[in-house]
Amino acid sequence: MTRKPFAALSLAPAIALLAMLAIVSVGGAIWLALMNRTLRSPDAEFVGAYNFLRLLRDRRFFNALEISVIWELFTVAGTILLAVTLAILIFETVKKPIWRNLLCFAFLVPVLLPRVAAAFIWRFLYSPSLGVINYLLGLVGIGPVEFLADPSLALVSVAVVDIWQWGLFFTVILLKLLETLPRDPIEAAMLDNARTWEIHAYVTLPMLKGPIISLVLVKAVESLRSFDLIFVMTGGGPGTATETLDLYAYQMGINMGGRISYASAMSILLLVVTTIAFTIIWKAGRRWAN
Amino acid sequence: MRNAKMMAGTAFIVLAAQTQAFAQEDATACKGKVPTLNVIAQGMPAVTALDEHLGEFNEKWGTEVKITLLGENERRAKSRLDASTGAGSYHVIYIDEANLAEYVSADWVYPLAEVVPKEYDISDFRTDLSNVATVDGVQYFAPFVGGGDVMMYRKDILEEKGIDVPTSLDELTAAIKATNDPDAGRYGWSARGQRGSGMNVWRWTPFFRAKGGEWLKEKQPVFNNEAGVEATELYIDLMEYAPPGVATFNWSDSVEAFRGGQVAFLIESDVFGPWMEDEAKSTVVGKVGYAPPPDPLPSAGWAHGWAVSKVGADTDCERAAAGDFVGWATSQEMEQKRLAAGIASDIGRVSTLQSDAYKALVPAEYIEALLATSEKTSLLIMANPAWPEIGDNLGLVLEELFSGTRDDVKSALDEAAFFAEDSLARVK
Repeated sequence: MTRKPFAALSLAPAIALLAMLAIVSVGGAIWLALMNRTLRSPDAEFVGAYNFLRLLRDRRFFNALEISVIWELFTVAGTILLAVTLAILIFETVKKPIWRNLLCFAFLVPVLLPRVAAAFIWRFLYSPSLGVINYLLGLVGIGPVEFLADPSLALVSVAVVDIWQWGLFFTVILLKLLETLPRDPIEAAMLDNARTWEIHAYVTLPMLKGPIISLVLVKAVESLRSFDLIFVMTGGGPGTATETLDLYAYQMGINMGGRISYASAMSILLLVVTTIAFTIIWKAGRRWAN
Repeated sequence: MRNAKMMAGTAFIVLAAQTQAFAQEDATACKGKVPTLNVIAQGMPAVTALDEHLGEFNEKWGTEVKITLLGENERRAKSRLDASTGAGSYHVIYIDEANLAEYVSADWVYPLAEVVPKEYDISDFRTDLSNVATVDGVQYFAPFVGGGDVMMYRKDILEEKGIDVPTSLDELTAAIKATNDPDAGRYGWSARGQRGSGMNVWRWTPFFRAKGGEWLKEKQPVFNNEAGVEATELYIDLMEYAPPGVATFNWSDSVEAFRGGQVAFLIESDVFGPWMEDEAKSTVVGKVGYAPPPDPLPSAGWAHGWAVSKVGADTDCERAAAGDFVGWATSQEMEQKRLAAGIASDIGRVSTLQSDAYKALVPAEYIEALLATSEKTSLLIMANPAWPEIGDNLGLVLEELFSGTRDDVKSALDEAAFFAEDSLARVK
């Protein structure tokens, strides 16, 4: 047997299983989206595209879409910026391996925390009356700040927790990548009297373009799955200020009216939108990396 | 006459013995046939206190009771999902005034008398709670906690400011404003702001009713009328005198703010009264006065309890074990055990309220307030299967108004009423 058919045969069972799982669940969701099934009653009728058309008139759906996009951009950009900045800072200032390793260990702790636990910890830290952040702000005459109750601050406050968890983790990855880079181009730049920021802007970071794009994609996918964090910290509130699409689908399908078909329609639209968006981003990223 | 009494007495004893024997027989015949009895619940003291006694029930039925604890909204969502999809993971479900109509109309729960052995004396449940647990004359859940509203106030602050205990809503409003002193870390008022039919809507409803509000007129939602607008505006005004973050407070945040010493007035469910007297957790022990909500505020009647799921307990043994669990967990003996452990907040039975053990644990003033408030207690929410959806959506627009995301009260309520029309139409 030649190599290609052998590889195909080896992969076939796993691919078939994955395809079946995906097809059954997506197929089920599409079928539900075409019905008017609610959790209150087992009876349902075929309503065609009604649920999709209703979504186009739904103010909360568009709000949730907007919040999801802002959340995605903010958390991905924030995580990568924090990771790049901290990695370079540590690379340049902490030279002893033991201190670097200790820092890396400390930076791994947040991402090891379960999301729900992290959410509860930060909810308490943010508390206007009992939280330590407001206590510290109070010492310098600021506040109390309603981090999670103020619509203009709530999304950013939750995003900070996400960035805290993932940004520090990515810092460790980038730091280790910086350590593995060949020294020659960096030394050549130093001989040309390049400043530190110039070395990183024009030498090291371009050399890490591929891994950084991968990290961006990983984070983008991860940010889509922030339901637990937002649910525990704000429940989508105040009002709809932090209500992302998955949260709105949950509120409509499970938590509120049990409009499971409507929620399914929303999920299908979310699937289509993210598939298109990620395909475009993936292709653009590959072109840029090359 | 004497003979008749004797015969009646004998008949009662025989019947009771038969009932007892039947229950024993059930337990014997079904012992070991229900390996796990799954229960969904909220972490109320009456529920968590069961932990140390579960061994005796497990031993009786040869089963293992597994209690899944969730927050109120999550518990409602999960038990509804479990019943409606036919999954039937839970034999015993935790149910309340907000979703009872939905569960009964969907035929998801057994009538209580059909599943709970007679030895547990269903007639001893408090009438105000049993009424909430009843639809069309049939009681569906065994209430272990509930009641109405009570106004809690800081006696020391009122004395310091020379303010009498408010007996009208206007007096209360003035007193809240007079006692508010944010610079000293003290606020006049606290309330629930977080969205939810059982959260902000629950506390807003007495204000709505006090303004003469009705939910429906000729089967159409009318809570967006003048009464709704006035109630909302007053609620928003009072929130100006509440601790920071009140727009997203749930009941726990509100109660903790009060017993943390930050708040002068709090109208909350009466079960929280004993929480204020808990020396381990409260900073205001002995400083709290209790009174009925000032007129014309009515008192929001509620009850939480356990019912047996038709979807989850669909075999004879599961039904028998689940029914016995509900009876056992809400029995007079269990309530006395809780009192012995110092838990006086969750009382479902008349006999417990009348017991010396209860009177020894709570201030006489609190009991007086309870008795006084019971006259104005009734179910204030819309008794309709669509209520959870309508209430949650109303809660969302209220939270938007409380947090300042939107400021047009009338249009916000119009939107909620429009949504309610749709929900009601689906029920029809």
